[in-house]
Amino acid sequence: MTDTSAPLVDVRGVEKAFGDNHVLRGIDFAADSGTTTVLLGPSGSGKTTILRSLNVLETPDSGLVRIGEVEVDFAGLPVKGRDAREQTSRLRAQSGMVFQSHNLFPHKTVLENVIEGPVQVQRRPVEEAVADARLLLDQVGLAEKADQHPFQLSGGQQQRVGIARALALKPKVVLFDEPTSALDPELVGEVLSVIKDLATEGWTTVIVTHEIRFAEQVADQVLFLDGGVVVERGTSAQVIGDPSEERTRQFLRRILDPG
Amino acid sequence: MLALLLLALVVVPTSAAGAAQDDRPVVRVGTEGTYPPFSFHESGSNDLTGYDIEVIKAVAEKAGWRLEFVETTFDAIFAALDADRIDVIANQVTDNPERAARYGLSDTYTYSRGVIVVKSGTKGITKLSDLDGKTTAQSLTTNYAELAREAGAKVEGVEGFAQAAALVVQGRVDALINDNLAALDYLNTTGSDDIEIAGTAGDEVSQQKLVFRKGDTELLQQANTALAALKADGTLAKISEKYFKIDVSVENTGEADLSGGRAPRSDAEIVKDAAWPMFKKLLIATIPITIISFAIGLALAIAAALANISGSRILSGIARAYISIIRGTPLLVQLFIVFYGLPEIGIDLPSWPAAILALSLNVGGYAAEIVRSAILSVPKGQFEAASTIGMGYWQSLRRIVFPQAARTAVPPLSNTLISLLKDTSLLSVVLVTELFREAQNAASAAQTFFPLYLTAGVYYWVVCALLAAGQGRIETRLNRFVAR
Repeated sequence: MTDTSAPLVDVRGVEKAFGDNHVLRGIDFAADSGTTTVLLGPSGSGKTTILRSLNVLETPDSGLVRIGEVEVDFAGLPVKGRDAREQTSRLRAQSGMVFQSHNLFPHKTVLENVIEGPVQVQRRPVEEAVADARLLLDQVGLAEKADQHPFQLSGGQQQRVGIARALALKPKVVLFDEPTSALDPELVGEVLSVIKDLATEGWTTVIVTHEIRFAEQVADQVLFLDGGVVVERGTSAQVIGDPSEERTRQFLRRILDPG
Repeated sequence: MLALLLLALVVVPTSAAGAAQDDRPVVRVGTEGTYPPFSFHESGSNDLTGYDIEVIKAVAEKAGWRLEFVETTFDAIFAALDADRIDVIANQVTDNPERAARYGLSDTYTYSRGVIVVKSGTKGITKLSDLDGKTTAQSLTTNYAELAREAGAKVEGVEGFAQAAALVVQGRVDALINDNLAALDYLNTTGSDDIEIAGTAGDEVSQQKLVFRKGDTELLQQANTALAALKADGTLAKISEKYFKIDVSVENTGEADLSGGRAPRSDAEIVKDAAWPMFKKLLIATIPITIISFAIGLALAIAAALANISGSRILSGIARAYISIIRGTPLLVQLFIVFYGLPEIGIDLPSWPAAILALSLNVGGYAAEIVRSAILSVPKGQFEAASTIGMGYWQSLRRIVFPQAARTAVPPLSNTLISLLKDTSLLSVVLVTELFREAQNAASAAQTFFPLYLTAGVYYWVVCALLAAGQGRIETRLNRFVAR
């Protein structure tokens, strides 16, 4: 085992450009095991890109990402080839991802969605994966929906299945990319309460969200990003309750008091 | 896997042929099978028969050959000889200087003369010079087509005598020139008085010969020796008299009489006799070729679609060139290239593999774009969700993307399948006897094709209707999980 005092997630100097658009200009942050990190920022600030980089849905141009014992130095990573694929897939396996638009597999039942990764990728026995999946579905309050298809569920239920699917792979970190942004307002609460439960159960999470009140309640650490850099960081009380940067204050005003 | 399949197709027929214990040399005979009374299928039976067929069989017996008959349209028959798909043509090929220069022609086994056939009651066409400015219907590569052109006539290409006769009856062409024996057979078999023999096409007696490749002197010698022996022992005269009441294997023996030949039959009888042989061809040729070609074509289409969207410029360039060539050229041309062109560079595929290769490539080119747009219709988030749970490229395609793409792809792919089924009717040019070829055979024996082509049409339609019903069921299945 590595040094238990080292943070579980470590991001250093991550840069990413799409053509001329420099989206990430050297992002650093770390997250300890069992903590909740919330990324805030206006659209285009790079918060989603850094989250996707942790799961290698985006490949950073340079910088270093470590989750648990798996570390990838993107500056030295070849663009293509077996070695690059192996490194990125090892890093990817460390985290589970929950998407804004759930991205459930429409042709599979709720249960099949949840066991797809464990059975097809991790090659775990089906009975075991099903038993685990039922526990997870029970945990997100959807035990009785196991045999339905995604289109039969409400948006909030779909998102909770998405969370169960991410947890089923037993990742070290769960990543949430604006998990409630696509939902009707009355469905937001059920999803946030599931995420809150995860935090109390000791899951390590990194969350991109616009739900400031929720962030205040759950975050151990809040990062405010703008223009591809971390503008301000600290506890939720510091960053949300008493921001020191003008850009952070402006952003919070707009979000909390629109109009 | 694709290569293995093709290999299996190539290997199976050869090994089956090699299994027979017979050390006589195999000589492949090219013949129309739709040119009564010389080369045709007797009604109600599948056996090839006719004057030319009996002659070549007698020659083979004398020369010690084992015969394999290959049926093809006349316009493809010389191409087949050039491409080494057949060794000899026995199909009333008339001697002329061009053919004599290019091929090895045997001694004469038929003396005949060309006649001009017109719609009954037509005035003003009795000799070749009357055809100036008129239109005639001929197989394009025949000697008679040459005669008509020289006389100043416009020549419409047809496949066989029955088709030409129908055009004359319908008044779509003014006349046809053909062998007097073929014309008499038509009149006799159909009992028709819609057309009549108006006159002779020139005074020259034409001579029909067996045709070999120029270099095959050994076969030619054997054939000539055999023909001489058959003339000497009266066999040739006997065969001729069976069909024509006179000996056409020597010059000027009087008027032929074909009235003892096949009796006219009603349309109902004709269809009744041909319905079962046609159904058999549907089951053993048309449908299997369609299924195999579609399966291989779909694999090609998936490969081409993935190459096209791979992001690799080389792969997508290859895929696009392939799609462009296939969609930009007629299937008929593709069939000819695969069957008659590839042997020139040493790739000599038998009929079935050639047919399946050409059809698969064709389907692949058309379906590639369907598959590509179907894959692109699957939301990007599905690819991301698949890779985020750790799936690799192929696994996400197989388990996540293809099942969803299928929903978009099934309706247009069904169209492709239905087109493919009907496209198999072109396969007689690569010497595959499928449903439509069988209808042609029956039509030529009966000298009437409308009822038989109608029957073929009904068969195609029924199968297509079944396919469409199957499509409906699959679509319902695939649409189960989509909110409506």
